[in-house]
Amino acid sequence: MIVSWNWLQDYVDLAMSPDELALRLAMAGLNHESTTDIGDDVAIDIEITSNRPDCLGHIGIAREVAVLWQLPLQVPNPQPPHGNSPVSELVRVRVEAPELCPRYTARLLRNVTVGPSPSWLVDRLNAIGVASINNVVDATNYVLMECGQPLHAFDYDKVKGGQIVVRHARKGEKLVAIDHRTYELDESMCVIADASSPVALAGVMGGADSEVSETTTNILIESADFAPLSVRTTARLLRLHSPSSYRFERGVDDQGIDWASRRCCELILQIAGGELADGCVDVVAVPRPTVVPVTLRYHTLKRILGIDVPPAKVEQILTALGLHQVQHDKSSITVSIPSWRRDLTREADLVEEVARVYGYDQIPEDVGVSMVSSRRSDADRAGAVLRDCLIGLGFDEAYTTSVVSKEWSDAFHAWTTAPALTVGTAMLRGADHLRRSLLPSLLAAKQSNEAAGNSRIELFETARVYLAEPNGLPQEPTMLGIVSGRGFFEVKGAILSLLQALHVGAKLKTEDFEDPFFTAGQCCRLTLAGNRFGFLGHVSDNAKGRFSVRSDTVVAELRIDQLLRHAVLIPQYLPESTFPAIRRELNLIVPESVRWSQLEETIQQAGGDLLSQVDYLETYRDPQKDGPDKKRILFSFTLRSDQRTLTSEEAELVTTQVVDVCRNDHQAVLLG
Amino acid sequence: MSLSEFVGQLDALLEAAIEAFNLAHTEDALEEARISFLGAKSGRLKTVQKQMGSVAADDRKAAGQRLNEVKQLVQDAFEAACARVQSQSGGTAQPAIDHSLPGIAAPRGHLHPLTQTINELKEIMGRLGFEVAEGPEVEDERHNFDALNIPAEHPARDPLDNFYVNVGPAVPMLLRSQTSTVQIRVMESRPWPIRIISLGRVYRPDTADATHYPMFHQMEGLLIDRHVTMADLKSVLRMFASSYLGADVHVRFRPSFFPFTEPSVEADFWWNGNWVEFGGAGMVDPNVLSAVGYDPEEVSGFAFGLGIERLCMRRHNVTDIREFYRNDVRFLQQF
Repeated sequence: MIVSWNWLQDYVDLAMSPDELALRLAMAGLNHESTTDIGDDVAIDIEITSNRPDCLGHIGIAREVAVLWQLPLQVPNPQPPHGNSPVSELVRVRVEAPELCPRYTARLLRNVTVGPSPSWLVDRLNAIGVASINNVVDATNYVLMECGQPLHAFDYDKVKGGQIVVRHARKGEKLVAIDHRTYELDESMCVIADASSPVALAGVMGGADSEVSETTTNILIESADFAPLSVRTTARLLRLHSPSSYRFERGVDDQGIDWASRRCCELILQIAGGELADGCVDVVAVPRPTVVPVTLRYHTLKRILGIDVPPAKVEQILTALGLHQVQHDKSSITVSIPSWRRDLTREADLVEEVARVYGYDQIPEDVGVSMVSSRRSDADRAGAVLRDCLIGLGFDEAYTTSVVSKEWSDAFHAWTTAPALTVGTAMLRGADHLRRSLLPSLLAAKQSNEAAGNSRIELFETARVYLAEPNGLPQEPTMLGIVSGRGFFEVKGAILSLLQALHVGAKLKTEDFEDPFFTAGQCCRLTLAGNRFGFLGHVSDNAKGRFSVRSDTVVAELRIDQLLRHAVLIPQYLPESTFPAIRRELNLIVPESVRWSQLEETIQQAGGDLLSQVDYLETYRDPQKDGPDKKRILFSFTLRSDQRTLTSEEAELVTTQVVDVCRNDHQAVLLG
Repeated sequence: MSLSEFVGQLDALLEAAIEAFNLAHTEDALEEARISFLGAKSGRLKTVQKQMGSVAADDRKAAGQRLNEVKQLVQDAFEAACARVQSQSGGTAQPAIDHSLPGIAAPRGHLHPLTQTINELKEIMGRLGFEVAEGPEVEDERHNFDALNIPAEHPARDPLDNFYVNVGPAVPMLLRSQTSTVQIRVMESRPWPIRIISLGRVYRPDTADATHYPMFHQMEGLLIDRHVTMADLKSVLRMFASSYLGADVHVRFRPSFFPFTEPSVEADFWWNGNWVEFGGAGMVDPNVLSAVGYDPEEVSGFAFGLGIERLCMRRHNVTDIREFYRNDVRFLQQF
């Protein structure tokens, strides 16, 4: 809302400077945007919060000024002279859609001379950035900007039958608006129609046909109340936002409707001549509920603000705001609420009124807030360990958006068989799928880094995915996604480091897994303590192609909740054995199909209590010596007792046992 | 030359060689000694060997035997000296290092600046007694709107201003437009007193530009107890700001409007000679307290919220919010 300094002076004496005014208003809730000199006037742009439509006019701002500086406020009382013909014989109004138009008033001016506005009017409108059209239209705009009540002037002779019908638009109806564009209407919209067709979009824009022009002589002045939601929807659907629609969306002052109409007619008579018909057609389709007085208890002020405000001060503030005292005792004050302050319905609202006028600077900033303990959540602690570990492993942290394109969404979704949730409004570049995996987003991040010519592209992200549930809200497990240019086993090693960092005792296992996102035979599903934990593998050429990723890429995605379930945040001390260990290396020839995990499990079992550690060393193949489909696995194991020094005979016994069991279970042959 | 003379020469040579090798403490000196005694052309051993022709034919065999013995002994002495010199110098002698060459860096990753900001906020608020609470990002209308005193006709609920999930006939849900939803969930689930912060992703359909992004992060704080006042709010925000900025900071309230607080204010910090916008705050609206089953006559509370990107941008002088989501490693590696 832009206010003119000169204009404000009509209602209140401005003894302060424009800067002082702007600052004080800002500290009372009317945020200052800018101040501009325009000729001999000053335009002050003020941001009005949506709860204060009363300040969308000069009088409203002047009232705030009067309250803050304790000055008298002078509001005009328009009493336009009128002729003898009763308006009710010339204009008929029918409201067919009371839910869209609670009240409609019409006045009629005849034999008006449409022409240029006087310079004072042009200057005032110019100061607040409103272009002058002609004296009649300018008068409606002037009153709009004076009190916040939108008005519309129709060329009465273009309103067929002198009949105004407020109704829903009919499907397929069209209107050429005063911007000379044709709008197709639908049944949700409210129109002002004459006997045959729409002449205006209620509260949004007038029609070109009934527009006031140089040839217009008879004018119908509309001052009405239109339902906020309907005006907002219509303005949005047609992208027709105007100062009028802005005000209807926030609600107009019911008792200001007739005032604005009289004020506008008075002004037109003054600058365009003519004669006002007697009276006003006033259709109250839905009466406003009676405004109930509100009580403010002084102890509530103290309880909420933390300071005492003297009762006399409270009364003075409320009275100046137009809230008149209806009852008063030692502990409370009850006030009536003026029609323009429909935002004030409760005690809490009065607390705010008193506080903002009394001044928030009166509230201290150094009271002793009580101390309480707070504990960092396990999830937070584990999350910090996880991130620190990833940083140490050389990964940079990425943040990617939760909503992705259908293509990305389809690229990988192994966590769920349910389709992705979609949103009605796309987020970026048509992205409307809530993601079910972080991996497509991270792959795209890799691509953009490759495109930028960056070399070391090692990224991770921790964020939620959204897995639809048949009823109610989706599951939102937090995932760790990794995209890397390292090899499969290096990324697997990084995952093992994470498990170590969190002291996860549970065993990480791998299972066969196939998905077009991954190269066949180069990926796996991960489980932790038997629960589904993640996916790991080489991204397939096909997936790389679709994301335009050039270099070899290994990705992994892990469920952080599974990690947290097994994380040990406070590790417990276990005494180390003081007896020496015996380490043995074995080289076994086994069939190609035997997996290390199987062999390891066998070794663990065969090794018994003395076995403290098994380490895989390497695999190699020598088909000429060992025959086809065979491989040699070299590993070591460590034996140790925490009670005694082991003898070499004991070590040999265990070794023999390990070799025997491996031979029985896996056709393993000891080499050398 | 008699045999005894020849052998005498050989013995003297052996003695001299052993001494020379023992005295050599560097590889260069040792090499010099080697050439002097074992040199193929004019080493002293070679010189003595050449005189063997002048030994009587009958004695030549014995002379040759002794020559070979001495040759071997000199060679052994030389090798022993080599081993000694090498062990003393710690292996093969190497040229001095150019210590101005760059080090070999172990790859180190970087925490995203937003995470760093979030960690800092959590840490400061933790010290002030606020615990972190979490809630879902996909929310129902009760938690995102109704319980927050945002009625059905409120403009904030416009489908075009939110990311509503397409759910068909099911209960409407949307990506949360503010982290205040978590306040409601916490208050619904436990009795007061409450002292929490919630941080996380929120979503609003803004067109992306240098200062807007349709997804961003918020921190909300909530304190509910008996006798909680706006003075407590101001004091907590001041303590927060002083911790975050590292100096005594003053707080200013400007009246504002949020459906879920009454009174509502914008909080500013006085920092470096300017009032800097912090975020929105206010006393929890009685309707919100009632909605979660608290008695607004018994308890009161305050809430505040701020945009994390904005804070992070100001802290690190990032001028375009989109940088946070581009994930260019050159950007990430600056933090």
